[in-house]
Amino acid sequence: MSNMEKNVADVNINVKHLTRVEGHGNIVVNSTKGRVEKVEWQVPEAPRFFEAMVRGRHFDDIQTIVSRICGICSISHSLVATKAVENAMGLEVSEQTDMLRLLMHYSEQLQSHVLHVGYLVAPDLFGAPSVVPLVGKAPDAVKTIIRAHRVANQWSELLAGRITHPITLIPGGMAMIPKEAQLLELAETLKATVRDLLTIVDVVLSVAANLPAFERPTEYVSLKQDNPPTYTFYHGDIASTDGHVVPVDQWESVANEHVVAQSTAKWAKWHRQSYAVGALARFNNNAPLLSPLGKAVADKFGLKQGACNPFMNNVAQLAEAAHVVEAALELIDTLLTRGLKPEKVTVQPRAGRGSAAVEAPRGILFHTYEFDSNGDCVAANLCIPTNQNHANIQLDFEKFVPEFIGNGEDALRLGLQMLVRSYDPCISCSTHMLNVEFVK
Amino acid sequence: MNKETIVLGLGNPLMGDEGIGVKVIELLQSASGDLPGADFVDAGTGGMSLLHLIAGRKRAIVIDCALMGSKPGMLRRFRPEEVQTVKELTHLSLHEVDILKVIELARQLGECPEDIVFFGIEPETIEQRMALSDCLAERLDEYVAAVKREIVRGVKAG
Repeated sequence: MSNMEKNVADVNINVKHLTRVEGHGNIVVNSTKGRVEKVEWQVPEAPRFFEAMVRGRHFDDIQTIVSRICGICSISHSLVATKAVENAMGLEVSEQTDMLRLLMHYSEQLQSHVLHVGYLVAPDLFGAPSVVPLVGKAPDAVKTIIRAHRVANQWSELLAGRITHPITLIPGGMAMIPKEAQLLELAETLKATVRDLLTIVDVVLSVAANLPAFERPTEYVSLKQDNPPTYTFYHGDIASTDGHVVPVDQWESVANEHVVAQSTAKWAKWHRQSYAVGALARFNNNAPLLSPLGKAVADKFGLKQGACNPFMNNVAQLAEAAHVVEAALELIDTLLTRGLKPEKVTVQPRAGRGSAAVEAPRGILFHTYEFDSNGDCVAANLCIPTNQNHANIQLDFEKFVPEFIGNGEDALRLGLQMLVRSYDPCISCSTHMLNVEFVK
Repeated sequence: MNKETIVLGLGNPLMGDEGIGVKVIELLQSASGDLPGADFVDAGTGGMSLLHLIAGRKRAIVIDCALMGSKPGMLRRFRPEEVQTVKELTHLSLHEVDILKVIELARQLGECPEDIVFFGIEPETIEQRMALSDCLAERLDEYVAAVKREIVRGVKAG
């Protein structure tokens, strides 16, 4: 027996969450005398049958239905569905529609990134159990985060028609467009939000030393757009940091979804045993194309292209938050210079199959639909970012546990929870009901 | 301009009875002409966005699917202080939200409506389907009427 084995206490971590309706992520680690026996990221979630729910539905209902799959990524699901339907129907959209949709998409990135860093990650860095007690520890920081999140919500509402579950998207165009005065007002609000974002950056920077120093070489997969070169969330091909690029309609050969024993959610792999998607993946594929402020934020944290510390996903989110605000200001400027025009959309349904991808805040999202000649959906296939990350979380765990086990069970448990949180998996997202006991 | 009362329907209509709040709000929206003092919002599973929707309002009325240990279909009216949450959160994901925690956060920030009323509806089936169970669907008129009475009652005197 080595000295290490003698000195390390046994570890038995079993973070299980059981609810009546659906599963959660479970973290299981067993180790005896320093020898790690079991390390598992389990996702015992009910299989999602959203594909079955859209079958038989008309092509112009799809984006409304799938927007309900997730309350945080509802714009991304609606956008990718709309694009996939348009691909199947052979529809081209106007430049104005494309820009308005992109503007809507940026709002969701800001909403989600600020929420993730502020509400889920900051409590860890400040040593608070959640955002509610964090108000007492760092009230000004929380208020700044909430102010920025509120702006992002109002921005989504203006373009999507409401804060969550958009109602403005229709195949071929937009059902409603904002007024020019509203876009001008949005631009002014966004300019003022830059200051709040920089405050949030400084707050996170002040506690960034609490992000674990952990690295694991990883394949990162995201969209990449060369014409024109853009830090893309919306157009382009599927790219890997291992140097491969394939068109979006071949996404099934990228995800290679497969079933594993420890999880009912499907896992994904491309050139390695796993790959990662999300802000860090986008950064690693597109970093030179970030806006000036986005680059400045990355520089503050020393985040460089090629980074393979999964905890730096949170830093990449901050860089992207700054980027989308700057990119949005440019878009608004272009839209207002050209002037907004009402557009009429008529669609003649046809039989066909179409695929699309967008970058949801937590990574690349794929939808494929097939329609009959009436425009009714006969088949669908959806692949969400979280499922693409599960295998990668497992491999991170397998490297993280031996490296950090010497810090004791409590620190290891927290480290693993923080690691999962850094990916912000979309688990238990489809039900939000109350569960209460009466006390009065 | 925001109205002083906001009526929120929560839930996911892709998950059977989980979507009851959204169904009730849709019915209320179509009758909103009779109820000019309130905004009606289908907030779906927007989670933390609720914080912004209720901020600065005088009154919030929330309609949601709720596990209360009651008979399926039962409607119960309660205030946040009358219940304690037994919802287990993993804190691993932003996607799980307990609205009672959102209200706690709103209170700490000093922007919570003084008058908050919940209408909890006990589900019969939570599963992936777009229809409500018959048990709840048959009682929709009753749920809508209860919320309308609450709106007409006016804001609780602070």
